[in-house]
Amino acid sequence: MKITLFEQAPYRQLPDDFEQHHEAVCSTPYSLTTRDGVYSSIRDFLDEMMLGARAGFDGVAVTEHSQSSYDMLPNPDLIASALAYMTETEGLEVAVFPMGRSLGKAREPVRVAEEYALIDVMSGGRLVAGFPIGLHYDAGLNNGVPPVEIRPRFDENLELVLRAWTAPEPFPFNGRFSQLSQVNIWPRPLQSPPPVWITGIGNPRTMQMCLERNFGFNYLSWFGAKLTGKRIFDRFWDVADQVGVPRNPYRLGFLQTIAVAETDERAEAEYGPHLEYAFRKGLGAIPPEKLGLPGGIDIRGVEALVKDPGDFGLYHQMRTASFKDLVDAGVVICGSPATVREQVRSFCSEYGIGNLHAMLGFGSLPRELAMKNIQLFADEVAPHLRDLWTDTEHAHHWWPERLGGVPSAITAGAGATEGAASNPTSIPTSTAATARTEATA
Amino acid sequence: MTATDVSTPATRVEAVPAWNGRLTIQVKVAGSGPPLVYLHPAAGPGPGLDPFVLRLAERYTVYAPEFPGTSAGDPYAIHAVHTLPDVVLIYEEVLRRLGVTRPVLVGQSFGGMLAAELAAVFPDLASKVVLLDPIGLWREDLPIANWMATPPDQLPALLFQDPSGPAAQAMLALPEDLDQAAAAIAAMVWAMGSTGKFTWPIPDRGLRDRLHRLTAPVLLVWGREDRLIPVAYVDEWQRELPDCRAVIIDDCGHIPQVERYSETLAAVERFLLDN
Repeated sequence: MKITLFEQAPYRQLPDDFEQHHEAVCSTPYSLTTRDGVYSSIRDFLDEMMLGARAGFDGVAVTEHSQSSYDMLPNPDLIASALAYMTETEGLEVAVFPMGRSLGKAREPVRVAEEYALIDVMSGGRLVAGFPIGLHYDAGLNNGVPPVEIRPRFDENLELVLRAWTAPEPFPFNGRFSQLSQVNIWPRPLQSPPPVWITGIGNPRTMQMCLERNFGFNYLSWFGAKLTGKRIFDRFWDVADQVGVPRNPYRLGFLQTIAVAETDERAEAEYGPHLEYAFRKGLGAIPPEKLGLPGGIDIRGVEALVKDPGDFGLYHQMRTASFKDLVDAGVVICGSPATVREQVRSFCSEYGIGNLHAMLGFGSLPRELAMKNIQLFADEVAPHLRDLWTDTEHAHHWWPERLGGVPSAITAGAGATEGAASNPTSIPTSTAATARTEATA
Repeated sequence: MTATDVSTPATRVEAVPAWNGRLTIQVKVAGSGPPLVYLHPAAGPGPGLDPFVLRLAERYTVYAPEFPGTSAGDPYAIHAVHTLPDVVLIYEEVLRRLGVTRPVLVGQSFGGMLAAELAAVFPDLASKVVLLDPIGLWREDLPIANWMATPPDQLPALLFQDPSGPAAQAMLALPEDLDQAAAAIAAMVWAMGSTGKFTWPIPDRGLRDRLHRLTAPVLLVWGREDRLIPVAYVDEWQRELPDCRAVIIDDCGHIPQVERYSETLAAVERFLLDN
């Protein structure tokens, strides 16, 4: 199993009653911050990510959120490029994994292609390229994209990025959202192309796209894996069976918030308040109408969610969730190394998960405790998880070759938009053919 | 007179092919007499014509086209429509195919914006235009509420001066059956998403530049307590339109034909009878 260190970059010194008065996104008053608080939140975050790289994690992973107090990373590529250079100079064989630039949000998709290409070059071919569809508040409210256009924009932008990476000759692009007389990016990625991962929260259409097109699928389980995991992962593997691809665990990524200390009691005492801070003042303080704007969720999805909101797990209680609530729902796994490795291993084993994104810094967790969590996990948990799938016949096709992956071609298949006419600008087959040619060259 | 007193002319639905076969526009048709076209608001056409429109159908043949994406069973039609100028051409085509000439154009909110666009792009299309609390203009010091990002439980207070009143309650009522309620909610949410393609994030697509072309007589009806789009926009419309009278209705929010049915009907009928 591949294990990455994942962190967001929350502001770590919000007032105790923050969530009673404020939302975590869009309208959050910046007057709540101090200059030193902002600096240390970002500096500590970067130092913790570098500790992870040095401690032997397989990858370091970050996300993109604008105008948010729970993740001050408007462009994850800025962080990823710093990590790419630092890890390259230190000779660390670690994947750099922005999870990453949302293509439903992006209005300059060629820039996304260029940034990722440059990170891949800077890291010597260690980029894993994540493309979330797009959070509604971020794409819609922060970047002005009509919600019903988030998925069509994602589809067109993804085709443009893949083509920009792989087409040997300059090409014109006449899209709905981008018109360019020539696309000919310098540099292009060292990998041909980098592994592509899509983040989703349960829409079967997104799963179908990943499985048909040979992308990895990341499920970021902040809603509480004990509540949502079985639904989501069973659905994913059912779709895999329908598409007719093997149940290869390496095509599935799972994010879990984890807190590990010497004993269960000490873990709760040390991390409990910071976990409550993280979820009450983070996800819990994002109002539902900002996560689901009209037009952004397919009409059948809305109907299904009205009848059964189970995919959202603990979300609706998160603004006041206690440590116990978070543990019971599986939002966090907290305890001694033995407790943590037993729970994580059994969960990943049960649901066929081949990539674990361990979220080891969160909320107000101070630098020293985050460092402790990362180091303890690296020393006493990760070594007990790595062999989970080694005795199977599966190869990891969604990981950089330099880091032991066995890249395979991007294939033609469904887009992310339910009910859209075939995208006039997309050329999935020729893109796939190009990618395949490059991959085998 | 109250809404419930209205007799109900039979409504039929015509499926009108448009946009070179890429769309089928559903048009509710009711009544008889000279043509009147009704354009629905952002939340969609709803299952039936509202009492105000049915009352007009006693004197007019009412045509109520459904916006692409808002018709039952055809949600993805919205993906075949890409620009507001195309929307205007589609509506003109539908009316031409129906043989509707020189209709009265009536539009509510989002439908009001569409009616104004249609009449501005095709100045000879409409005989008269009635706009009920229309969107389409923007002034930074008069912010328009973002109805799509408003929590559902706060929408009634955004739409109605008295959200607990009987008219508001009747309009907001959901079917008791869970499946039907879920379908109704999904249809309304998707309708907002579909119309939102042409209003998000700011409901201003440059209509102000085109309004001078709207030369037909216009009646503006506005609820004085409209919390979605303030009544002060009446002045903006009157500034841009060559022939525009306005009626402001007291104790009334964003949907005057529902919240103040009688006053709205009286104002509209007065305007339509006036030569």
